[in-house]
Amino acid sequence: MPRTRHPTVLPFLSLALIAAPLRAQAIDDGAMLPRRAMAAGLLYSHESWSQYWEGTLKRDNGNIGTLSTQSVTWMAGYGVTDRLSVMAMLPYVWTHATQGPLHGMSGLQDFTLAAKYQLLATPLTDRGTLRAMVAGVAGIPAGNYTPDFLPLSIGLASRQFSGRFTLNFQAHQGWFLNGSAAYTWRTKVKLDRPAYYTNGQLILSDEVAMPAVFDYTLSAGYQVGRLSIPISLTQQRTLGGGDIRRQDMPFVSNRMDFVRLEGLVMYAVPAPQLGIRIGMSRIVSGRNVGQSTTLTGGLYHTFTF
Amino acid sequence: MRLSLRRFLLTVAVPCAAALSGCDNTITFSETLPPLQAASLDSGAGSWQMIVLSGPTQFTVAAPAAETSAVYLAELTAINTAQANLTDAQRRTIAYWSGGGVLRWNQILRGLVARFNLPPAPRPDGTYPVPDPENPFADPQFPFANPPYAARAYSYVSVAQFEALKTAWYWKYQYHRPSPARLDGSISALMPVGDLPAYPSEDAVLSGVTVEMLKVLFPAAVAEITQRAAEQRNAALWSGKAAASDIAAGLALGKAVAAVFIARAGADGMRNAVGTKAQWQALADSALARGEIPWISRELPPRPPMLPNFGQVQTWLMTPTEVVTERPPAPPSTSSPQMQQEVAEVRQTVDHLTREQLAIAYKWNDGAGTYTPPGHWNDIAAEYIRDAQMSEVRAARTFALLNMAMHDAAVGCWGVKFLYFNPRPEQLDPSIHTVIGLPNFPSYPSGHSTFSSSAAVVLSYLFPDGAPAFDGMKEEASISRLYGGIHYRSDIERGKEHGARIAGYAVRFAQQDGAN
Repeated sequence: MPRTRHPTVLPFLSLALIAAPLRAQAIDDGAMLPRRAMAAGLLYSHESWSQYWEGTLKRDNGNIGTLSTQSVTWMAGYGVTDRLSVMAMLPYVWTHATQGPLHGMSGLQDFTLAAKYQLLATPLTDRGTLRAMVAGVAGIPAGNYTPDFLPLSIGLASRQFSGRFTLNFQAHQGWFLNGSAAYTWRTKVKLDRPAYYTNGQLILSDEVAMPAVFDYTLSAGYQVGRLSIPISLTQQRTLGGGDIRRQDMPFVSNRMDFVRLEGLVMYAVPAPQLGIRIGMSRIVSGRNVGQSTTLTGGLYHTFTF
Repeated sequence: MRLSLRRFLLTVAVPCAAALSGCDNTITFSETLPPLQAASLDSGAGSWQMIVLSGPTQFTVAAPAAETSAVYLAELTAINTAQANLTDAQRRTIAYWSGGGVLRWNQILRGLVARFNLPPAPRPDGTYPVPDPENPFADPQFPFANPPYAARAYSYVSVAQFEALKTAWYWKYQYHRPSPARLDGSISALMPVGDLPAYPSEDAVLSGVTVEMLKVLFPAAVAEITQRAAEQRNAALWSGKAAASDIAAGLALGKAVAAVFIARAGADGMRNAVGTKAQWQALADSALARGEIPWISRELPPRPPMLPNFGQVQTWLMTPTEVVTERPPAPPSTSSPQMQQEVAEVRQTVDHLTREQLAIAYKWNDGAGTYTPPGHWNDIAAEYIRDAQMSEVRAARTFALLNMAMHDAAVGCWGVKFLYFNPRPEQLDPSIHTVIGLPNFPSYPSGHSTFSSSAAVVLSYLFPDGAPAFDGMKEEASISRLYGGIHYRSDIERGKEHGARIAGYAVRFAQQDGAN
């Protein structure tokens, strides 16, 4: 009875909540929190799919129906200096399948800590500003959840470290362009069972080597006053791992690839320094992942010490 | 800027290094095999009791050429030449097979089972295709190596290997031809070469018997199987363990023994195990006529039950009458208060699992895509066989006894499952959700409990020091089905008792087969 789940590296890419007064600030965008500014908030996300790619074969599965993954993520960011921000996030995740006998799962997923450093901010002609950023992100499972019940597992239970580089151009007229790419190393995962079959091989071990992941995001948007509307295209490539076999379950180290389109609306309310964000994304092509549609809504508060 | 860069390194690099430290991506394997130095030659194995063959002389191995003959000396020269030109890949092949042919083939077999243990995907019209041995490379692939299929496959390979090796041992001690590395000081022993006579080569016997069995059981893997078998023979040759004529004689003997088992497998009832639509309906009608709720498939679309006639497949150590007389009593009626209680227990358990209970459910899940419960017990046995440094023929005996018991347990259990056609807990209470896949066949009794109990009894007899460990694993494997939400307690209890009774046949055989 096969099933698939959303890719884990997703939180690194999509949880773009932490914000400065006028701009969202995320790990992969071109914005920074001002020195001594703090932003904290919650993000709700609802992701669901009824079709998935078994390897490259797109299919549905009567024993899953529609799989939904919901999460509430606590996030916070702090401007150490004008050029250095740190961020943290922790999602609580729960899963559910509408058909079939399988039990949903829930729990704290991975605690993520990130730091972002602005290498460069320079006027480009007289049209706008070019910024370059680097970021380091570390993730560690916050609970002892199992990654061996995909797609109902709440995560992949691997420790992760990403290095990210971002280039951003903000035009004076309001539009902006952003490009960001990251390489993610993942540590081996421990299962509760003594052997498993993946990628054409029986492995007599309870440990699973996890392939690294590369992703990039291109986004463009428009900012007018307190409103910012970016749209983005993200591609994730897992650099190794096996396909889900015909009518098999997905496996933690599968090659999970996808291309995703995302639209966001972010608005900053001036008086109580609140930021509001709603977004929608859709996987347009993939391999060993569900063709998910994700709706997100977030609220955050910014204050300065 | 300097300050911030330092802070950046502190805030990013240090936590990241901490997150990664001590947890690189190198995995630890549980079943590495050091070069086999057999604790005993088991020189009397040629007289151990046969199971299917009439005796070790059912197949005659012709006398080898003299050790001084030109033909044989040329074979030794060829080994010398091969050893002088070994590539790294050839050395790796030698190192791999030096771990022991029986253990290596068991690992390969577990891999094949896991590879082929996938049910057919449904067609767009909601029906399911049946894997076709005449067209094994198609979708669905053949076979669907589910637990009964796997139990049978493990047993055929193990018993055929055991009978072939007993025959080989008999002829080895008729001819007493030493291995090349013992005869010729210029030939190195690149794997442990003991005093076991080399003619016919036990490695070649194993390669011949196993390749033929596996080609029938897993025809779509023919290329890989053939290559492995050739590598095993090459390793024996390159390592100075066997000469070309030792290998040729062993290969022929192995293939001849395999033919006997292939003929048996063709007529053991497996071909009828899938059954027909009318038979499936008759099972449900029979349960209804007894006033019971019949099992129905909970898959969407509903899938035909797994091998309903497997209970009629030929056993190794039991007569058809014994298969029936050893059966457990009927399960509680689906309308009884006891059944209601048992359903409630499943519900209560699965909704309040601790992390430890969940880990036990996953540890023993052994569901689709794995080497199955019988494979799990082969995995357990392999490490005991390795640690006991068993000779090839004794290792084969251990796997044969274990896998005959589990095959007979599969036959016994499946007969009872389809006799009573009892529904799974989730069918009686759809609010029960399982944390492992719900098997697509009737509930009573628990197959995993039956397999595990039969395996634990046989292994406890063979490895008395391990008995408490085997018993603990049997209990854990059995109760894992309650934690998983797929079995009632009485399925588990009656399954364990049934498995132990069936294992008694293997233990009684082992007590008098001459190997002790």
